[in-house]
Amino acid sequence: MLSQVLIEKMLNAALETGGDFAEVFVEDKTNSTLNMVGGVLEKAVAGRDFGIGVRILKGSFCVYAYTNDFTEENLIKVARSAAQGIRGKKQDMVLNLLKSEKINVHNIEIPNYGVGKKEKVEWLRRAHIAAKEYDPVITQTNMTYSDSIQHVLIANTDGILVEDTRSRNMMNFLAVASSGSNMETGYLNPGFFGGLEHIQNLDIESHAKEVARSAKTILNADFAPSGKFPVIIDNAFGGVLFHEACGHGLEATCVADNASVFSGKLGEYIASPLVSAYDDGTISNKWGSENVDDEGMPSQRNVLIEKGILKGYMIDKIGSRKMGMAPTGSARRESYRYSPTSRMTNTFIAAGDSKPEDIISNTEFGVFAKYMGGGSVNPATGEYNFSVSEGYMIRDGKLEEPIKGAALIGDGMDTLKKIDMVGDNLDYGCGLCGATSGNIPVTVGQPMLRVSELTVGGR
Amino acid sequence: MNIYEFQKQLFEKGKQYGFSEMEVFYSSNKSTTVSVRNEEVVDYKIAEVLGLSFRGMYMDKLGYSYSENISEESVDYILKEALENAQVIEAQDDEELFESIERYGSVNAYAEILANLPVETMIESALQMEKTALQADDRVKQVLECNVSKSVYEVAIINTRGLNCHSKSSSANAVVYVMASEGDQAATGFYYDFTLTDFARLDVNHIAKTAVAEAVSKLGAVSLPSGSYPIIFRYDTATTLLSALVSNLSGENVEKGLSKLQHKLNEKIAGSKIDIFEDPLMVGAPGATTFDAEGFPTRKTTLIKSGTLLSFLHNRKTAKKFGAQSTGNASKHSYRSTIAVGPHNVYLKPGRRSVDELVQSSEEGIFIIELHGTHAGINSVSGDFSLYAGGFLIENGNLTKPVNQITVSGNIFDLMNNVDELANDLKIRGNITAPSIKVNRLDISGQ
Repeated sequence: MLSQVLIEKMLNAALETGGDFAEVFVEDKTNSTLNMVGGVLEKAVAGRDFGIGVRILKGSFCVYAYTNDFTEENLIKVARSAAQGIRGKKQDMVLNLLKSEKINVHNIEIPNYGVGKKEKVEWLRRAHIAAKEYDPVITQTNMTYSDSIQHVLIANTDGILVEDTRSRNMMNFLAVASSGSNMETGYLNPGFFGGLEHIQNLDIESHAKEVARSAKTILNADFAPSGKFPVIIDNAFGGVLFHEACGHGLEATCVADNASVFSGKLGEYIASPLVSAYDDGTISNKWGSENVDDEGMPSQRNVLIEKGILKGYMIDKIGSRKMGMAPTGSARRESYRYSPTSRMTNTFIAAGDSKPEDIISNTEFGVFAKYMGGGSVNPATGEYNFSVSEGYMIRDGKLEEPIKGAALIGDGMDTLKKIDMVGDNLDYGCGLCGATSGNIPVTVGQPMLRVSELTVGGR
Repeated sequence: MNIYEFQKQLFEKGKQYGFSEMEVFYSSNKSTTVSVRNEEVVDYKIAEVLGLSFRGMYMDKLGYSYSENISEESVDYILKEALENAQVIEAQDDEELFESIERYGSVNAYAEILANLPVETMIESALQMEKTALQADDRVKQVLECNVSKSVYEVAIINTRGLNCHSKSSSANAVVYVMASEGDQAATGFYYDFTLTDFARLDVNHIAKTAVAEAVSKLGAVSLPSGSYPIIFRYDTATTLLSALVSNLSGENVEKGLSKLQHKLNEKIAGSKIDIFEDPLMVGAPGATTFDAEGFPTRKTTLIKSGTLLSFLHNRKTAKKFGAQSTGNASKHSYRSTIAVGPHNVYLKPGRRSVDELVQSSEEGIFIIELHGTHAGINSVSGDFSLYAGGFLIENGNLTKPVNQITVSGNIFDLMNNVDELANDLKIRGNITAPSIKVNRLDISGQ
């Protein structure tokens, strides 16, 4: 991607003014998206992102510069102008880049370019037909297929020189159900870190029928009630609860600055003893997985909470300097346009002992949240919110009528402590998480859970 | 490689690939951001990003591709991908490139003085802003984010039909995000301001004090009993809700069956106090532009007049389907995207009285200053929303106590029918802007 000689020249230029660490991040990424609306391929776009970022640290002060002009002259200029942000004296530092062997823990059988666009369009058409034929109430479909191959090179003055290839692909299923002036949507977006074999093995028809079923169900649903109720959250994408309520607050980005409610709480009970949670970037072919993080460190499995006790945070290089703790392979960024920071990969609550049917039958009255929309959190206060796209009322231990439009709100730690039943059916869902270092692919996961009391905002 | 040389090379080779018409859309953004914390610069970012998107007509279909690698090795990649994309497109749009026209409006969006703003000035201002924030109130324990940035943005569109337009704009802004705490309760406050002309016009002390006042005012917040309350949405939260309505005004969403306003042209869809305009030629609007992403000239359009829907937003393709004229709203989020429809400067016409007067004339209600979870909590198609909210309780014309841990829910279309009054606090801040609005009762969920 860039010669080792040029990289060394950039790193040396970056350190001219007294920085104690410098890093070069080179990215060459090809993207392709196909979008079918109502069975007609409307949009097809493909492109190539190419850019180079230089990061210089002095203590926890960070200068970051990036450019798409990769002539040698410009790259040295960019490294020098970034160095102008640091006003010190050049320190003695010997550069010794050790190129590491390719670490590839994820299987990629069929590369994204190994299948023609016409065949990819047929995947979308199958999705459209299955959703459309599900029920006459389905008036529109919107199906998207996208893939990307990101080649990165990461080199730094600690001696790391790593190259990595991240191949991802995803299908977005969306169905619209209408009656009169009412319109509701159902959606799912399975995605993979790996090759096209995953899409080829995907049961496209059942995903399409499921979004159609969800849209139809919501169309006929009543608005959720308002108030405080026991809430059961279904498995898979339900894990967005943990992602928002707790995951963000465990990132060094805010923990290190004491800007998280979880700062300084290692070893303390922050959740119900039924809760153990992990962030694990090594799970085979999961959407949020990576071989190495965006600082070149191998991805790893991090214990966040064990039986309710806070065991660890997700830490990047700057966080590690501020906190005096080792980095955890958690540095991530959307692209060369962002300086990396600590972020989640595949974050999930581990399976418990309860059978899902027992969790429901043990709940006299409450709300069952089957599908979630997204959410957000203020890590400084711990207040989070997220939306329920498809839910049901529970009465006398039975699922009753569908409800829609509920917002669930609460305080992260309070919610974790109120988890009183954990199912044995751990599963995962895919999403894009937006924060300081851009939008990155993440997986969320959990088994079915019950929270003894949550504020449900309906009407 | 020079962009114009690259474009010539691309068009020449494109002919060999069989493209009958071709266009490039080029943009570049150069920006510098400094962030400070604890009286020190903690982050300094220099960004230079540029890229080019290509569209080429092949057998009556337009194929799209883009690249940030503007060098000879990208020429074949760009053309090959665009060709393959043109071959799979099925939409019968008769989409075509726009020819050049003589006249464009004018917006003076570039200020040399901003583009050349010294980094030292930015750092000093950021440090000053942090200092002011920390000194403004004892309860401010931390400035979570404090940064100043400047940027210069350029766009050029060139095609084989003779179109060749170019624009350049600049801006600077200052952002502060603070945390205040008292006892074991913490609250955050955020404020930012921008300038398109002169950095000296940015009052960083005012920005800092506004964020602090907001954080401190939220301390001691409590939830409220669930029920229905009259609501005043402050300008920023009103803007969030207006955005959901504006997405229903997109000709593209209407055409795709993703708008509730389909078939509602010339019908009354909102209360008679509602006037909504799109004015891309307004001086001082951040989204102001003389041409859209297709190179089509922009102009002022009345979208909703006294509650009656008069026009959707269109690009040339959607306009054609509606038998209308393009409103100059072809949008391209960046060179990575295809042509879509989007607002440049849509705003809701303000009322006469100040927001304070609106509060004073309310016997009861809630003044909402924050809404969260908007990306998932608003169904932009149905207009239904249920969102985390925070603000103040209004009792006998006074803001009495801060409120948090509540949700507010309703429907954006119903809400636009039930606006009691609009305040006079419209300040154009982005592509969509609303003043504060007072509405009839909405459902609040709390204790």
